[in-house]
Amino acid sequence: MTIKHESQKIAQNFYTFAVLLFLVQVVVGIIAALQFMWPDFFILNFNIIRSLHINALVVWLLVGMMGATYYVVPEESETEIWSLPLAKFQFWATVAAVTAVVLGYIIMGLYPQANTLVFGTRLLNEGREYIEAPRWADILIVVSILLFLFNNFMTMLKTKKWTGIQGVLLGGLTVLALMYLPGMFYTKSMVKDQYWWWWVVHLWVEGAWEVIAGALLAFMLMKTTGVKREVVEKWMYIEVGLVMFTGILGIGHHYYWIGTPSYWLWIGGIFSSLEPVPLLIMVWDAFRTTRETRVVTNKAGLYYTVAHAIFNFVGAGLWGVIHTLPQVNKWTHGTQITTAHGHLAFYGAYVLLVLAMIYITLPAIRGVKEFNPSRAFKSFWIMTISMVFIVLTITGAGMVQTYMERLMGLDYVAVKANYNLWFWILRAVFGVGFLYGVVIFVIDYFKLGKERT
Amino acid sequence: MSNKGARNLFIFGSLFFFLIFIVLTFDTMGKLDKRAPEITEEVNAGKMAWHKYDCIGCHTIFGNGSYFAPDMTKVAEKKPKGYLKQFLMDPKAVNPKASMPKLGITSDEADKLISFLEWISKVDTNGWPPKPILAGAVGVAVKELTEGQKVYQSLGCSNCHMISGIGGTTGPDLTGVGSKRDGAWLSGHFKNPKAYVPNSAMPAYGHLNEKDLNVLTDYMVSLK
Repeated sequence: MTIKHESQKIAQNFYTFAVLLFLVQVVVGIIAALQFMWPDFFILNFNIIRSLHINALVVWLLVGMMGATYYVVPEESETEIWSLPLAKFQFWATVAAVTAVVLGYIIMGLYPQANTLVFGTRLLNEGREYIEAPRWADILIVVSILLFLFNNFMTMLKTKKWTGIQGVLLGGLTVLALMYLPGMFYTKSMVKDQYWWWWVVHLWVEGAWEVIAGALLAFMLMKTTGVKREVVEKWMYIEVGLVMFTGILGIGHHYYWIGTPSYWLWIGGIFSSLEPVPLLIMVWDAFRTTRETRVVTNKAGLYYTVAHAIFNFVGAGLWGVIHTLPQVNKWTHGTQITTAHGHLAFYGAYVLLVLAMIYITLPAIRGVKEFNPSRAFKSFWIMTISMVFIVLTITGAGMVQTYMERLMGLDYVAVKANYNLWFWILRAVFGVGFLYGVVIFVIDYFKLGKERT
Repeated sequence: MSNKGARNLFIFGSLFFFLIFIVLTFDTMGKLDKRAPEITEEVNAGKMAWHKYDCIGCHTIFGNGSYFAPDMTKVAEKKPKGYLKQFLMDPKAVNPKASMPKLGITSDEADKLISFLEWISKVDTNGWPPKPILAGAVGVAVKELTEGQKVYQSLGCSNCHMISGIGGTTGPDLTGVGSKRDGAWLSGHFKNPKAYVPNSAMPAYGHLNEKDLNVLTDYMVSLK
């Protein structure tokens, strides 16, 4: 395995940053889990810890996808990246902006009053879930993504090889950039605030990101099993098509209870119930392709790819569909059931996706012919088993919460502090297990290709 | 199906569904103002304070947020204003067991936040959060309520206080209150809580008639 174009190596910068943020995300996640038992456990309050946990996740996945794109586009276009210095600049600008935002969160955690108004927007934290980054950072993020898209489109234009994979990949990334904009203006109404906020959150993770995942899945299956491009691309179009057909109006499941008209109950219920369908086709696609091939060039890579397809379906699909009907969601909305879904969905759909891309492209970047995949398998099983148990404990907590708080009318704090205590303890224990798996992965990432086999 | 056909289906199908979504968005935007009270400057200032302190980083509102602290959608309906204000400014002084830190919320900001939360509580949310089924059923099915219990229920005491595991955690647990306090203390405290507990955030119930006050006091004394 070697790269065909020297500039593809830039992907490694992005991967390294992503991997380090992954580690940070999991460490602060454990702090957050402990704060469920001891709210005063750490110098920073839960809100800051949670913002760091979630923002680190979103950023490292995005950065990982950017790295993957810088690898895929030259490969597909069969040429060097249009401007390597621009790619390097974009990378370091992203690192600088992310660092500044994180420092801002920490300052706000220590001195809440520091989050003052500057030109009508908050200086350190916008106080909106997932998109906490202040407006000045939003603008930097948009500029960074535009530079990134521009560089990749120019690369594609150099040879004008319009492959389906890079077309869908860049299409998904363009939608991603556009869908960041609805989160960048202030509305006086909290209902409208949440309406537009869901455009960003939902159309990212259940729209643009799944499209990107579809394109990368096709690329990875092609690279690891040598399956024909035509076959893999056709299924990719069907998958990402169904993602959009069900996912765009599936946003209705977020518009049940926020003050929006009741017709969203019908739209959301019907379309979001169909959202698992394309994810199931992806699983079938991965298995069919794997079964048909004799020669697997990268066992660890294929392993992570298939696991991504499976856990995308289980986490995003099944764990989502169980509480997506309005009749059910009325009782489960706003409980730990959503947290459980969020954890398994992000792990399956995106964490394993980026890790799979790393295992498939990193050996080529480092010029390794073969690598020992034992650490990759070990970290996979430790992470996956831990995550499954984290999700089961939070699901249990969510069921107890739904029953006791929503059906019986017990107080939120009483349920959280007394009846769910053991779930929090177990969740923290499995969180440490997950961290162990991540540490093995990080070690593997830095050692891959650098030690004698 | 050819690859080109699949590609076109993906592109034009996505555009088609996005177009429907845009139309629905226009329709929804036109209907939202009728489903909520008017937004005053006070309410908007409260929303700004909500964002400033990153309240969503722990709480949920309309069920969306961080699942770490109670949902705020109906809080203004359930808890007395005076309590909310004191709690917002210094949570642990009101309730030593509270997890919420003292964020430096000023008296003015607290008033605005409460106006914002009142606005939120009046938004038409298609019936969310639903009323608990089982809590309602217990009173009917198990036994007739006593006079004191009826007053306790009609005043909404259980929004803040707990008896035998049922009720809120914002005020003290009343499960064994009868063995700690006598009738005189309790009825005096109802009339003027602050005279008995300096940091109390409980509203005064001096406006109750003598009979209600007596049966409620008797009920409290019976909790041993």
